[in-house]
Amino acid sequence: MPRSDTADKRAPHGDARISRRGLLTGVGIALIAGRRPVLAQTPIRFGLTPVFLNNDLELLSKLKAYLERATGYPVQLVTRRTYQEITSLLVSGQLEAAWICGYPYVQYRDQLSLVAVPVWHGKPLYQSYLIVKEDRLVNAAEDLRGDIHAFSDPNSNSGFLVTRALLADWGETPDSFFRTSIYTYGHRNVIRAVASGLADSGSVDGYVWEVVRDVEPELAGATRIVRRSEWLGFPPIATPARLAGAPEVRAIAQALAGMQGDPIGQDVLDMLRLDGFEATGPELFDPIAAMYDKIRSAG
Amino acid sequence: MRWFGALPLTVRVPAVVALLMIAVSVTVSEHVLSRLNETQERHLRALGGAYMDGLSSSLVPHVLRGDVWEVFDVLDRARDRYEALRPIETVVTGSDGRIVAATDPTKAPTLSPLPVEFSDRFSTSDIAIDSSEDRAYARRVLAHQGQTIGAIYAAFDISHLSAERADVMRTLLLSNGLLTLLLAGIGYFATRRMVMPMRILGEHLRNSLDSVPEPIPASKLPRPGSEARRLFDSFNTLVRAEREREDLTLKLAEEERLASLGRLASGMAHEINNPLGGLFNALDTIKRHGDTASVRETAVSLVERGLHGIRDVVAAALHTYRPDRSPRPFGPSDIEDLGLLIRPELRRRHLDLQWDNDLRDPVDVPNAPLRQAVLNLLLNACNAAPDNGTVGLRVVRSETGLTIEISDTGEGLPEDAIGILTDPAGPAPIGTGSGLGLWMVRRSVTEIGGTIDVDRSNLGGGLVRLRIPVQTFSLDHGVRTDDAA
Repeated sequence: MPRSDTADKRAPHGDARISRRGLLTGVGIALIAGRRPVLAQTPIRFGLTPVFLNNDLELLSKLKAYLERATGYPVQLVTRRTYQEITSLLVSGQLEAAWICGYPYVQYRDQLSLVAVPVWHGKPLYQSYLIVKEDRLVNAAEDLRGDIHAFSDPNSNSGFLVTRALLADWGETPDSFFRTSIYTYGHRNVIRAVASGLADSGSVDGYVWEVVRDVEPELAGATRIVRRSEWLGFPPIATPARLAGAPEVRAIAQALAGMQGDPIGQDVLDMLRLDGFEATGPELFDPIAAMYDKIRSAG
Repeated sequence: MRWFGALPLTVRVPAVVALLMIAVSVTVSEHVLSRLNETQERHLRALGGAYMDGLSSSLVPHVLRGDVWEVFDVLDRARDRYEALRPIETVVTGSDGRIVAATDPTKAPTLSPLPVEFSDRFSTSDIAIDSSEDRAYARRVLAHQGQTIGAIYAAFDISHLSAERADVMRTLLLSNGLLTLLLAGIGYFATRRMVMPMRILGEHLRNSLDSVPEPIPASKLPRPGSEARRLFDSFNTLVRAEREREDLTLKLAEEERLASLGRLASGMAHEINNPLGGLFNALDTIKRHGDTASVRETAVSLVERGLHGIRDVVAAALHTYRPDRSPRPFGPSDIEDLGLLIRPELRRRHLDLQWDNDLRDPVDVPNAPLRQAVLNLLLNACNAAPDNGTVGLRVVRSETGLTIEISDTGEGLPEDAIGILTDPAGPAPIGTGSGLGLWMVRRSVTEIGGTIDVDRSNLGGGLVRLRIPVQTFSLDHGVRTDDAA
């Protein structure tokens, strides 16, 4: 992603110098955006975690096109391998907004502000699943002791925190309960790891698992759900607290809220299998905050 | 291999061609297959090396960190990228020798020790080929800053290589088989075509053993200028020469017969002339003293006896030199005729005749050739015997046939004469100046199925013995009469 590289290099200097690459990018954006001259404006840098299918280039280009048109700003989509990297960029103000996970959000709740929360099946909620290979004869989370367990990301709510909190309830840690744990840095990778037999079980985002079941039935079909968690706040779009109320952030909030009424926006929602985005209060993430507190006290 | 030599050329040549072709194709096939094997192995090594290079460069950082997922992810993605190599299974181990990740974690689970199918294979080389399983195994040690941090083990499916070899083998077998058949077929037809003149020649040669040799007809002659044509022409020239020789022999024999006739005729003239003097005296006596009955009767009786003698001589000559059209059986009268015919010669040479005839009844043997043969032998004996010598004739009738022995007091028969007489297949002695009469004798005796042998006679000279087989006694033939005269 050369564009994000440019953004990273420029950001620390904080100047508006237009590099050659930036100029070319701007011309490209102007051509795409058509009537509205956007060249002079500071681009919105929008971070994406591997919370979902971030390797889908079509989705990324459509999302970018929609956001640019709906906000009137040039948009840079910034992706990183781990939640940690995106969260750091966001908290340090190197991103105007990012689609992060509920867990990093509660970790940095005082430094971040909610922009919007996706709506899935009519609610801004989702679950975490514990999955095993389809033919494995276990029916409860307790049976997974001694497994090689696949987590998605140490900063993922559904892909780590939920399971970690469950173990803490039992007085266990991943190291004590599982034989070993591996991180795949992607929910889809957790499904692959379990389906292939690389891991005996995995902690996966329920929303991603359901979408994968829809898109790649044979991959998700090779796994089976052993446990569903309680309903928790869907990974939100957040912005640094100091930018809350800034025009570009308001533009993003409006663009996300208005996705349903727009053909490209609807395309993006269809690809994401989401109903839309809505604004909610931070209390939606209280249960996640409670789990975070629990594991912090457990050590 | 004697049986092979007995086979016709049209089978032997294609068989040799086929054998050679089989030998050639076996050698060629072996070379092709071994070269193919080498090439395949080289390719496999190169591809396997490339696979390992590609994997190790991307795996080293992940193995260093012990990142199970990334190692698995690299392996999983590589599986589709190296389809030409057909990796079945790839296993990555860490520095402790335990598995970090494998393409099929169900077979090689993470954290477990390396499966034996890999661990036991790499004693000498980093690549091992197991033809019986159609598998190749490769190993690559992962190193970072001089430290061994792990290893990659990979198993490849090489069944397509065996299939390719089998396919090449099949193609070779099929094409060589067809080629062998084709060449053997061509060999068969070509040989058949080539030996055809030899077969024609062979048939003619075989036929000439039983009968008169026949020249090869023009319709069977190959095109002019060919080797076979020259051979056929030579054969035909030979046959024609042989026929000319035969004709000449017969002509000479006829001349010889006439010559001996001339000699006999002069003898017979004496034979007739001698009584003629007496006859004229008797006629004179009748003219002058015919009135006296006693004298006349004596004279007439004298004339009568003289004319009888003349008649016998003439009849014998006629029987010998103008044979009857229908053959008569050989009888005692024939022997008497022979005695009559040689008498002038005996007298001329002052020879004595030992006459011993055992034959009382005719036997079923054509008389003309036998008479001719015995007469010739008797005349020969007269020639061979010195003046005042003896010539013997002995005829013995036995159960199985007739034995006739002609002997004399001469020097005995010369070697070449014996050869002519006793060799039933010998050629006519043309140009040697003598022996033609003897050759005629042998021909006549062979004609009636008899044999000749030569011995020493107790008279001191040569003895020629004829054995003539007589199958049955035929009583139908009456005693020969002289009505033919």
